[in-house]
Amino acid sequence: MIATTLILLLVLIGLSLPVAAALGVLGLTLDPLFSMLPLSRAIGELSWSSNNEFLLVSIPLFVMLGEVLLRAGFAERMYGAMSLWLSWLPGGLMHANIGASTLFAATSGSSVATAATVGTVALPQIKRYGYNEPLFLGSLAAGGTLGILIPPSINLVIYGVLTNSSVPKLYLAGILPGFAMAALFILTVIIACLIKPAWGGQKIHASWGARMHSLVHLAPPLAIFLLVVGSIYAGIATPTEAAALGVLGALLLAAWFRRLSWNMLRESIEGTMRSTAMIMLIVIAANFLNFVMSATGITSALTNSISGLGLSPGWMLLVVVIFYLVLGCFMETLSMMITTIPIVAPIMIGLGYDPIWLGIVIIILVEAALITPPVGLNLFVVQSLRKAGSMNDVIIGALPFVAAMFFMLLLLALMPDLALWLPRIFA
Amino acid sequence: MTNSFLYSDTPLRWANALSRLAVWAGGALTIASVLLISFDVLARKFLGFNTGAADELSSYAFAISTSWALAFATLQRANIRVDVLYQLLPVRLSALLDWLSLVSLGVFMGFLTWYASDVVISSWTQHSASNTTLGTPLWIPQGLWCLGLLWMCVVLALMLVRASTALVTGNTSAIKELCGMRSAQEEADEEAAAGERLVQAERNEEAR
Repeated sequence: MIATTLILLLVLIGLSLPVAAALGVLGLTLDPLFSMLPLSRAIGELSWSSNNEFLLVSIPLFVMLGEVLLRAGFAERMYGAMSLWLSWLPGGLMHANIGASTLFAATSGSSVATAATVGTVALPQIKRYGYNEPLFLGSLAAGGTLGILIPPSINLVIYGVLTNSSVPKLYLAGILPGFAMAALFILTVIIACLIKPAWGGQKIHASWGARMHSLVHLAPPLAIFLLVVGSIYAGIATPTEAAALGVLGALLLAAWFRRLSWNMLRESIEGTMRSTAMIMLIVIAANFLNFVMSATGITSALTNSISGLGLSPGWMLLVVVIFYLVLGCFMETLSMMITTIPIVAPIMIGLGYDPIWLGIVIIILVEAALITPPVGLNLFVVQSLRKAGSMNDVIIGALPFVAAMFFMLLLLALMPDLALWLPRIFA
Repeated sequence: MTNSFLYSDTPLRWANALSRLAVWAGGALTIASVLLISFDVLARKFLGFNTGAADELSSYAFAISTSWALAFATLQRANIRVDVLYQLLPVRLSALLDWLSLVSLGVFMGFLTWYASDVVISSWTQHSASNTTLGTPLWIPQGLWCLGLLWMCVVLALMLVRASTALVTGNTSAIKELCGMRSAQEEADEEAAAGERLVQAERNEEAR
């Protein structure tokens, strides 16, 4: 039963069928194979209830928040301010790359958009200040991945829905690891540039006056972050409501910067609806497949056989890390999460791992997937921005940051409180 | 992106236009949800009351706007596919997989739409209403939701007719244009171009 299911899944996905169709067709095939009752009829009711779930309303809203903010017109000034504050460190503007990505991540739930925006502003500076190209490119690709770890994050909402865990708690849990990861990235650049001072380019000097003056440009993203994340923890709003407030705030900001126009709204809406429709089609199909798999007993058979291996929690964690590392090389990250978490999370939680902590660990693994070849979307985005040179530069440049991610995972395994402390004190 | 083949084909051109309208309608519903939810939160905090319907209405808006956007997303080849094997195959074979993708989507959407319409019909015959103060007759949001699914099926059928004729005549480039996979490279190029356009717009603004 398990073998049939896995082989069918691999064949359908391998045939490059759309992930939603592959999952749906698998559900439709398993039903007559292994079930006495016709389960497929439930697909209508199941799909309506998942498509009508208030928590999921936050998905289009967070996507829209990112789309509007991207067009709100503060990216370059924000980057400028970050460079005044951070570029005295060895590695210069590479720290501005990471800092600007961090701040952008705090307003946007998307990693790809973060890398594209910060990358556009930053890339012309490589030649100007003589940086080591691979490391500079790597800092852009890696900095972008922070988008899904630092709240708001669409991926954390999906994890919350799939595992029935609280999204506000997940958001709280993502904050410290998110900023710690940004710090680790900065440390990575510093270490690299202390070993090879030539990589760090020319020194850039900024006066304190200019720094203070630039603070105003950091205000718009900070205001959105406080509006969205703050309203959740002040108990004023649920995640979905906070997302709505965020979109309203972003629209007002865009109006303030005179960027609000019909054309801009049309572009934001088309981008939002296209992503949301595709995400939801996969969610609907996966929801149906999970129903069929648990009704036919495949899920429990699978869980039992994995638990039956008798691996200790530590070894199991290692298996999960390797599993996502390998899968992440080939699969788009969101569909990877939606298809694997319903199986992986119950096993890990059964072994005693905290669901909130596990969510953060999985998100970091997904971030690693975004910058590991051959299918690391952020690598492609950065490469596409520079237009010339070899893709290998970006891949090599991203490697030290992948190492930093694994160091972060190690820290999380040794000190679970890094993720769990904030959710606990707010409980 | 110019797409001469697709746009010379009248039914698909209309399908494209109508799907785009449906997306705008869905977007308008989403923005309406933003305003309604925000009003609810602010009124609850500062005025001590709320409409009590924002959750319910925005959930309906969400269901309707996503199903109405499905056809547009499919026409834009936005479906997420895994290209590990696909990219290694010769063009003719990968064109066959593109065609197969449409078929599999068609099968899944056909099932989904069929049983979704069952849900609407039983809500209608049983006069089901939501268990809230609004007491919305459920066939209304469910019917609108199902309409989007139905439209997706129509568009898939049109695409399948086109792709099948192209497959029979060996016109692989037509299939690629209609339903080929957007490679990670293509995807990234577009994201990058969008990023550049935005920053350029910012610079123009500052220069003025």
